[in-house]
Amino acid sequence: MNRAIMERIETKLEEIGSLPTIPTLLVPLLQHLCEPAEEVSIEQVVTIISRDPSLAAQCLRMINSPLFGMRYPIDTVRGAVMGLGVNRVRQIAMACSLLKAFAGKGVVPARALWAHSLAVAMVAQKFCHQAGYAAPEQAYSAGLLHDLGIMVAMAACPAEFETAALAASREHRALYLCEREHNGFDHCEIGGMLAQKWSLPATYYNVLRHHHEVEQATEHRCLAAIVSLSDILCRLRNLGYGFEEIGFIDLATEPAWAFAAAELPQMRDFDLARFTLELDAFITEVEQSVTTLFELV
Amino acid sequence: MANTNFVSPASSGPATQSGAAQNSHLRKIRDLIYQVAGILQPDHKLQFLEDRCGRRMQHLSISSLRAYYDCLTISSIRDDEIKELLNEITIGETCFFRNAPQLEALRRVVLPAILKNKSHLAFRHLRLWSAGCSTGEEAYTLAILLLEEREGALKNVNTEIVATDLNLRSLEAAQAGVYGDYALRNVNPLMRLKYFTSAGERLAVKSEVKALVKFSRLNLMDDARMTFMKGMDTIFCCNVMIYFDGVVRRRIVQHFYNNLVPNSYLFVGHAESLYGVNNDFHLVHFPGATAYFKPEKRAGGAA
Repeated sequence: MNRAIMERIETKLEEIGSLPTIPTLLVPLLQHLCEPAEEVSIEQVVTIISRDPSLAAQCLRMINSPLFGMRYPIDTVRGAVMGLGVNRVRQIAMACSLLKAFAGKGVVPARALWAHSLAVAMVAQKFCHQAGYAAPEQAYSAGLLHDLGIMVAMAACPAEFETAALAASREHRALYLCEREHNGFDHCEIGGMLAQKWSLPATYYNVLRHHHEVEQATEHRCLAAIVSLSDILCRLRNLGYGFEEIGFIDLATEPAWAFAAAELPQMRDFDLARFTLELDAFITEVEQSVTTLFELV
Repeated sequence: MANTNFVSPASSGPATQSGAAQNSHLRKIRDLIYQVAGILQPDHKLQFLEDRCGRRMQHLSISSLRAYYDCLTISSIRDDEIKELLNEITIGETCFFRNAPQLEALRRVVLPAILKNKSHLAFRHLRLWSAGCSTGEEAYTLAILLLEEREGALKNVNTEIVATDLNLRSLEAAQAGVYGDYALRNVNPLMRLKYFTSAGERLAVKSEVKALVKFSRLNLMDDARMTFMKGMDTIFCCNVMIYFDGVVRRRIVQHFYNNLVPNSYLFVGHAESLYGVNNDFHLVHFPGATAYFKPEKRAGGAA
């Protein structure tokens, strides 16, 4: 990455960092919400959300939307958080703060990117349950955040990113490879810079920075590997960035598979065929959820 | 869950209770079918499974899924009943262009890769096998797909489709190549015009399509003959192996593996899984489809 680009990204990160929602809302929420659902203190989540009136309003609107079919209106933040559940709150919080921070038109539509992030989150969580990874909630958050670098890239260097994204869509190839070819850097590098800037926990830094090349991660490799595999599966199950990639992937030969398998004994009996078939159930769920979120934001 | 089924009692309170119980039996039936036949109805397809079980239950005058589950597990007719249910699950799956993502994977990824591997050969030959071809829809679909590529990727490539089935009656129908609306529901008007001629109310495949396909009778359990099906570039075997038990399925899949050239693929039905059946094939992912890949044998055998 050359100096000029780096400076542009740094400046953009400063700008984004000065938005009130990020430091006060997202970082504390992340810390709370990456704990197992049963250990998350509802009261603390309620407190954090109540600090941001627009987020509180979104939670209330979401819980009262037809998606939840409540029999009577919910009118407290606490009621909304209880009714929505930790995962939904996480989704709304991240969507609201991030989509706000990165507002603007990019070459990858915000909606498609968000659908992909949500799909990766759900798949990663499911993967954890099946493979015996102890922190599925953390994987869920990591999945939601893994492509933050793309949002920054679209905001900080739109022209460069667009060239790469258009090439990827035209040639039906993986985005990060086209970014490297055309720009000499990719959204993982940018995501890594962002994670450092926001002092995100090291687990997230590794996911943002290394989800396309897990072998480069020096720690928290297993989580990065799970997100990496989930990302691949989503891109090949119509849960990608909104453009088609052509090719085939043999997950068993992906370095990420080997890293995950090395740490998770249950991976030996992993029924990938069944897992893949079950993912299709997420397509409708992701779509519904994204539609509801985008009506709100 | 909120279905308009006449099976469940039409009341509000208790219905949710029995609905949950219904679902748990349905899941048990789903898991049983997956275990026995390797065909999976994921959670979002449970309604479909319930519907198909419903048809069998009506036939047997059984009123609860719980009783039907017993029928599939402990009753003396269980083996036959499982086959009947499998028939219900896969019925109507036989049609032209049945699995679009699978065919796209063949056209856009598999064929180019196979041809690239053969690019050093003076005479290029491509051999596909429709194993368990039934009445021929899949084999002719493949033929049409290849014909579409004959001026492009398949120029100067000698192509052949081998189609086999155990059932002589199916094979006769396949060779006749005359189909009604139901089998042709995914065939667009342009394709109909290009590759079919009218045969009364129905459509017959043109001779150029037929010329690509060689039908023959083959029992997939016939080890001696299976050994001779060599040199396959891709095999399609959809919803056929579900009727065999684990031991036989393992043997058949091993034959498929041996019959494929390295770097080639076995496609199975869209809900079918070979989990636990074979360790040599790799499950690979295409956009919206999966296949079983035979990798090149590496030195040391660590494939």
